[in-house]
Amino acid sequence: MTHAESGNGDRDEAMAPRGAAITDGPADIARAGGPSAAIAHGGIASTNVASADGASMSVAPSDDLDRLKDILLDDERRAIDALDARIAKLDRSQRELPARLAGAIERAQEGAGAERFASALARPVTHALGAAVRENRQVIIDVLFPVIGPAIRKAIAEALRNLVADMNSAVESSFTPRGLRWRIEAWRSGVPYAQIALKYTLRYRIDHVFLIERDSGLVLDRESAPHLPELDADAIAGMLTAIGEFVRDSVGRDGGGTLDAARVGEHLLWVVAGPRANLACFIHGVPPATLRALLERRLEEIHARIDDGDDKVDASWRRSLRPDELMREAAADESESRAPSRWPALVVLLIALGLIAWAIVRHEREITWLENMRARLGAHPGFVLTALEMRGEGVTAHGLLDPDAEPIVVSSNGDTSPRLVLDTVGYVSTDDTIIARRARRLLAAPPGVTIDVKDGALALAGHAPAIWVDPARERAVWIPGVRSVQFAVTPEADAAAVARQELDALSRTISTRRIAFVRDVEPASGADALLDQLAGEATHAAALATTAGAGIEWTAVGTNDDPGSDAINAHLRATRARWLADALASRGVSNVRTAADSDEEAMQARQRGAYLRLRIDGAMR
Amino acid sequence: MNAQAYKLCMLGDFGVGKTSLVARFVHSTFSDKYLTTIGVKVDTKEVALDGRGVCKLVIWDIAGRSHLDALNMTYLRGASALLLVADGTRERSLNTALDLLMQSRTLLPDASVVLAVNKLDLVERWEVAPAALAELRRSLPVHETSARSGEGVEAAFADIAARLVA
Repeated sequence: MTHAESGNGDRDEAMAPRGAAITDGPADIARAGGPSAAIAHGGIASTNVASADGASMSVAPSDDLDRLKDILLDDERRAIDALDARIAKLDRSQRELPARLAGAIERAQEGAGAERFASALARPVTHALGAAVRENRQVIIDVLFPVIGPAIRKAIAEALRNLVADMNSAVESSFTPRGLRWRIEAWRSGVPYAQIALKYTLRYRIDHVFLIERDSGLVLDRESAPHLPELDADAIAGMLTAIGEFVRDSVGRDGGGTLDAARVGEHLLWVVAGPRANLACFIHGVPPATLRALLERRLEEIHARIDDGDDKVDASWRRSLRPDELMREAAADESESRAPSRWPALVVLLIALGLIAWAIVRHEREITWLENMRARLGAHPGFVLTALEMRGEGVTAHGLLDPDAEPIVVSSNGDTSPRLVLDTVGYVSTDDTIIARRARRLLAAPPGVTIDVKDGALALAGHAPAIWVDPARERAVWIPGVRSVQFAVTPEADAAAVARQELDALSRTISTRRIAFVRDVEPASGADALLDQLAGEATHAAALATTAGAGIEWTAVGTNDDPGSDAINAHLRATRARWLADALASRGVSNVRTAADSDEEAMQARQRGAYLRLRIDGAMR
Repeated sequence: MNAQAYKLCMLGDFGVGKTSLVARFVHSTFSDKYLTTIGVKVDTKEVALDGRGVCKLVIWDIAGRSHLDALNMTYLRGASALLLVADGTRERSLNTALDLLMQSRTLLPDASVVLAVNKLDLVERWEVAPAALAELRRSLPVHETSARSGEGVEAAFADIAARLVA
């Protein structure tokens, strides 16, 4: 087999045994059946070697091996040279790649291929970015920092600018009629004014309204705000329907729920579902709650038309779904819903009526109270009511009050009764009751005298001390208010004389009450009872002495029996007299003196004892 | 809103080239990722009718599968036409397309149906025999299409549009 005949697949297998033969020497070549057996025997100056094409050629011995190598390895050498050239070319191409790639990218962005080129790069660039963010997060942050900072600041500034604009609007409206209405609403609802103001000043807009057939997801009608870029309404409606079905199939299958709303940032999507068609409203901002109610109402109207067989989209239908029309009606509904409720007015009215009723009742009660008070004061003896005046929470009664009149006591009738204040001026009453009180006060009538007045006629009756009778008779006619006097008081007996008589009797009796002693000053039994009796009689004697106008003097006298010397007996008498005086003093009878040693009466008694002696000094007056 | 819109659902086994056909036919508004998330992607295309104006096809590209589940059935609701797609290099996909047609008929008995046998560019590898296609053409309009070259795609959709407005 020649090299030319060998295929590429056989080339490697063929080269290996040949290489081995070359390495092992000419003997192997000869064994292999090579073209020259002479080479195998060596020492040959020259030989004929068959060439690849069968021709023989003559070679010098020194070049034989090289020539043989050329013959045997020519293909391999050419392949190696080609590979070397290819590697060199690749190296050169790789070195030139950056410059060539940049040019290629620039050329790719020209013409119609730019979009395709960008599309082709999108995925690898995305993956590369993702990998870069994962593996070199800090580098990405450092690179993006100059971009993100201004972007965030711009966004914040924009948001603050809008908020400030809203707040400015709220503040500016504070003193307008609309602001006043908001303040009333805030006061009525208890919501801060700022919140109410923001509620009405926050802006929103409706971008698109889609009326979508429920089953097919086809657009029955679509109304968009002006100046918005055109969109594929049918595709959006279809996807919206598909997503709605997907959501319902995923999470709301059992409950029959539907996708009602979706929010992305400031963009809000409301879906109002109906049996035959759905309304999808694309909103930017914060819409009022009345808008959703309006959309539901509008969808109901559309269904009513469909049910009536009128499903043709006409101008009125479209107008009813126009964003500006919906926003206008929502604003009107909002104003209507904000219309003042009648309840507060009714409550105020009820409170007012209650207050009026309460005032009337209170007035009636005050009138009644005043009438009662007027009657009561008018009937009070010694008081003449001149005026009854309401002052604040109290009532002032003006009038004339006799000093001898009973004090006016106003009993409180609960907390609702006014407080009564008396404003009185003194006067002399001619009321019979007051004249009687005045007569008793001025005459100092004793208890035995009765006083009666009738029509100014003073009648005195009863018994009184003689000393009182004559002066009273003289002074009675001078008592103010008394027109006549009927004096029928008789003088009583002389009390002093009676008292003196009783006192004299007591003096005689009391000296007979002797306290016996067993020995010295040891009293016999029954002494305590006797001492108590003596003390009582002494007290009574003092009262009698006062009545009789007489002075009395008490003397404790001690006595002794026969035995004993005079000195001892005198000592015993003095000791027993002192004992008696002390015993009486302990029972409240003081000023009891003891008898002198030379007291004859004491010395003549001749028995162990002690007694009390009363001496009366005659009338004081 | 000028052109009458019709809902067209595309049904077929996985990998038969439905999405590629749609991509060849329309300029997509939405990403293909919806096919793997919610199982459907919706695009639209206005098709000019010969002397009869324009109609708008709202194409629901339903993710490929061998049977229709409840969610897929909801996607089919209200469809006016079905575009069955089979892979000419896989005879089994043709059977699947016909099975899907039978399942959808319970919901859409009156929908217009067109069969697209795709991958015409690989016609030398087709397993679907011409005789079978000929037999099918007796009951269904059949189009041989290539999403890669675009051959037959416009014709298939135009056929559907024409049948819808007919």
